[in-house]
Amino acid sequence: MQTASLTPGGASAPEIPLIDVTSDLDEDGLYGVRRLVVTATEVTVSTPTGVPTCRIALSDIAKARHDPLVSGGRMIVTLKNGVIIPVVNYSLAVSEKFSEVARGIEQLSQGEELSIDMHDELKRCPKCDRLLPEKDGPCPVCVNRSKTLWRIFGFLKPYSRATTMLVAGSVCTTALNLIPPYIQKQLVDGFTSKSLETSGLLQWMALWLGLALAGSGLQIFNGRLMTYLATHISKDLRASTYRAIEYLSMKYFDRKPVGAIASRVTQDTDRVWHFLVDGFPFFITNSLMALGVIGFLFSIDAVLAAAILVPIPFILLISVRYWKPISNMFFKVSQRMARLHMQLNESLSGIRVVKAFVSEDREFKRFDERNKAWQQAAMQADQKWYTAFGMMTFAASLGALINWTVGGMFVLQGRLTLGEFIMVNSLLIMVYGPMQWFAQVNNWFSRAMAGAERIFEVMDMTPESNRELERTLDIRGDVTFDAVRFGYDKSNPVLKNMSFDVKAGEMIGFVGRSGAGKSSTINLICRFYEPDGGRILVDGVPLNEINIANYRSQIGIVLQEPFLFNGTIAENIAYGKPDASLEEIMVAARAANAHDFIVSKPDGYDSIVGERGVQLSGGEKQRISIARAILHNPRILILDEATSSVDVETERQIQEAIGRLVEGRTTFAIAHRLSTLRNANRLIVLERGEIVEMGTHEELMQRRGVFCNLVETQRAVTEIIGVGN
Amino acid sequence: MKLFYAPEGRLRLTMEDRSHLDVVPAWAAPRTHPDRYLSLLDSKGKEILMLERLEDAGADNVEVLRQELRRRYLYSQVRRVNAVRMEFGATYWSVETDRGHRDFVTQSLQENAQWIDEEFLLLIDVEGNHYQVKPVSALDPDSLRRLRSVV
Ligand SMILES: Nc1ncnc2c1ncn2[C@@H]1O[C@H](COP(=O)(O)OP(=O)(O)O)[C@@H](O)[C@H]1O
Ligand SMILES: [Mg+2]
Repeated sequence: MQTASLTPGGASAPEIPLIDVTSDLDEDGLYGVRRLVVTATEVTVSTPTGVPTCRIALSDIAKARHDPLVSGGRMIVTLKNGVIIPVVNYSLAVSEKFSEVARGIEQLSQGEELSIDMHDELKRCPKCDRLLPEKDGPCPVCVNRSKTLWRIFGFLKPYSRATTMLVAGSVCTTALNLIPPYIQKQLVDGFTSKSLETSGLLQWMALWLGLALAGSGLQIFNGRLMTYLATHISKDLRASTYRAIEYLSMKYFDRKPVGAIASRVTQDTDRVWHFLVDGFPFFITNSLMALGVIGFLFSIDAVLAAAILVPIPFILLISVRYWKPISNMFFKVSQRMARLHMQLNESLSGIRVVKAFVSEDREFKRFDERNKAWQQAAMQADQKWYTAFGMMTFAASLGALINWTVGGMFVLQGRLTLGEFIMVNSLLIMVYGPMQWFAQVNNWFSRAMAGAERIFEVMDMTPESNRELERTLDIRGDVTFDAVRFGYDKSNPVLKNMSFDVKAGEMIGFVGRSGAGKSSTINLICRFYEPDGGRILVDGVPLNEINIANYRSQIGIVLQEPFLFNGTIAENIAYGKPDASLEEIMVAARAANAHDFIVSKPDGYDSIVGERGVQLSGGEKQRISIARAILHNPRILILDEATSSVDVETERQIQEAIGRLVEGRTTFAIAHRLSTLRNANRLIVLERGEIVEMGTHEELMQRRGVFCNLVETQRAVTEIIGVGN
Repeated sequence: MKLFYAPEGRLRLTMEDRSHLDVVPAWAAPRTHPDRYLSLLDSKGKEILMLERLEDAGADNVEVLRQELRRRYLYSQVRRVNAVRMEFGATYWSVETDRGHRDFVTQSLQENAQWIDEEFLLLIDVEGNHYQVKPVSALDPDSLRRLRSVV
């Protein structure tokens, strides 16, 4: 990442470009290239041939901003004389960049230092020049397949001894399999020349029996070893995938539905597993076998061997020809399965709503559609595969035809003994038998690769930063926002230039209409997201210098919709401190006004709460989540509309509990009912992502501004409701 | 009502009693009802009025509205499909549109190629840009064949 940083009018010559970017739309909204250059003195937009379409002196500019449009945006400059000028249009492909440029222009025009993030994103694959599905992401086509394969095998590393044994075992199996055809030859030649005695026959047969026993023993051993390896690798793969997902930033979870993420951990790892159990050992043993047999064949009769093997290149050709389309199709199948999962997950989690709105049929229809889509894709893929398979079977059967024709002629000519002919025939089956299944390996391989790529894609995503930072901090509780800017997507700011200072132990209330950015502010305090600009400091230390796990362990959150895990009440209260004793848990529950209702349940603290806590009422869940926060004993406490969904009496109890909880901690509280923020030391009023007022309840009431307005509206509404009752 | 640009570049809506500056026209449901229900918003994002059809704005205003809508809705209409290729779940498009030539990638077509109705296909690229194919049957046979090979 590179940050432009230059002082305007400083040492740099006026014509040196400070910002130089290219848009993809022209003035009329047609696709075309426009180059925007900002120097220390002016902003110029020009066509590729250098004809300027817009030129503004920096000194005339009062404001510059990105105006989000649909499927794109435009930059708008307000001159000091009030005239508004549209500078340049662009599609969504570059709008994030231009929204940064707009800030840069504003900084320069105000004589500030230029400090914007002009990281150049990779849009096309540097290797094949294909557009990348995700900027800076992997190219799905060029992603190095052999590298992916090596990475799968990298998971073998901890099991190198077992792997070596397996390979050795496979080599032995191959060697053993080559001997019986040789015995057949000796026997047949013995029969035809009448030179074989009964005792000789029995000796040969004893050898054959010995080989069969050894071969089967080895096969059992190999099979067990392979299963041992494959299940371990599958477990490791799943664990690493889950770990990688856990550490991804919240932005990832915003974009991807839970079901789709889950399918990467289960389905995609399964595919790799199948490949390792079924495909890979098959491939190794049979490749070895094929090589051994081919060598053997050539040692018998080179001409015959060459003739027999003629169809093999055709088989390989068919494999290659069908490989791409078939693997594409299997990719599609796995995507559709993920979508089916997603749908299932969603409708089952929302089953109450589904039932309440009697929309079982509609949900079934949606499920069925996706189910059918999967069926279509799976059928097409498998059918295509069987076509390829049939063609290969035909090519393989040609091998036998050739042997009987050419080999038969050689026997008639006396060039080959009957025994040798029989041996070649047995060996032939050993090459061609597996050869037709190589396509199947291919099939497993394609599925496994598609799965592995989806897994590695997740593993390769950058996890939340600061996981590995050393610096820890025992938080006192001072929190400072310094010109913080943030948007869930960069070109659409949700928080703009937010600054405030909170002393340790203060209780701050955030007030504002829904959508004003209260929860977003809190998300930033929890470091669920990174600010796009500005800094957040805790005890004077920038947040991005502290180890994130250490920091979060000192924060407690109570949300409007408390999330409980399926387990007992005690386990849920102790979630942040699993080794807590029952005494500690009860102390916390008492403080949360939850103890009484818990003990009046038949199983008390051992009551099962059900998935997401469905067996408890909203107020009960809320008090458990408060007890959880109390036991966690955080330095910074966050309450996001913690009491919005409960009745007045429960709210009073929760308020009381919260009153105990906030003592001595920095607290950020958001409440819908403004009266519940009476205890706050200070209130911060937000409007469209900006702080509009800040002060104590009294100060703000006296000011008769936004807050006072809100309070009065609310009072009026409450009265109306009161009358209505 | 009267819609015009004053001062230059800023859309103004004047009705009998008041005048709004920086008016933003916004389709209420651009995907399912692409040419009906146009909301006119003031600079704070509050609706001033809703037109059921563009023509309801009155002959004088329609042109201004069209111009502003074209500026705001940077969708493009696909006229020709030069090439489509699907590889490992990503689909690579090369198309001619009413705004000119464009190459883009869509990921998982199940979600990003939406059939609004029989004749209206909406493609959404990885960056969120919209490309409309409407009416689908009006494409030339080659384009249609390429399109059908992936959706
Ligand atoms: N995860 C998200 N992804 C994208 N936009 C979001 C997300 N969460 C909130 N927003 C948007 O950010 C704005 C502020 O939301 P929020 O901070 O939740 O408001 P509130 O003050 O009601 O808590 C809203 O316009 C909302 O639509
Ligand atoms: Mg909120």
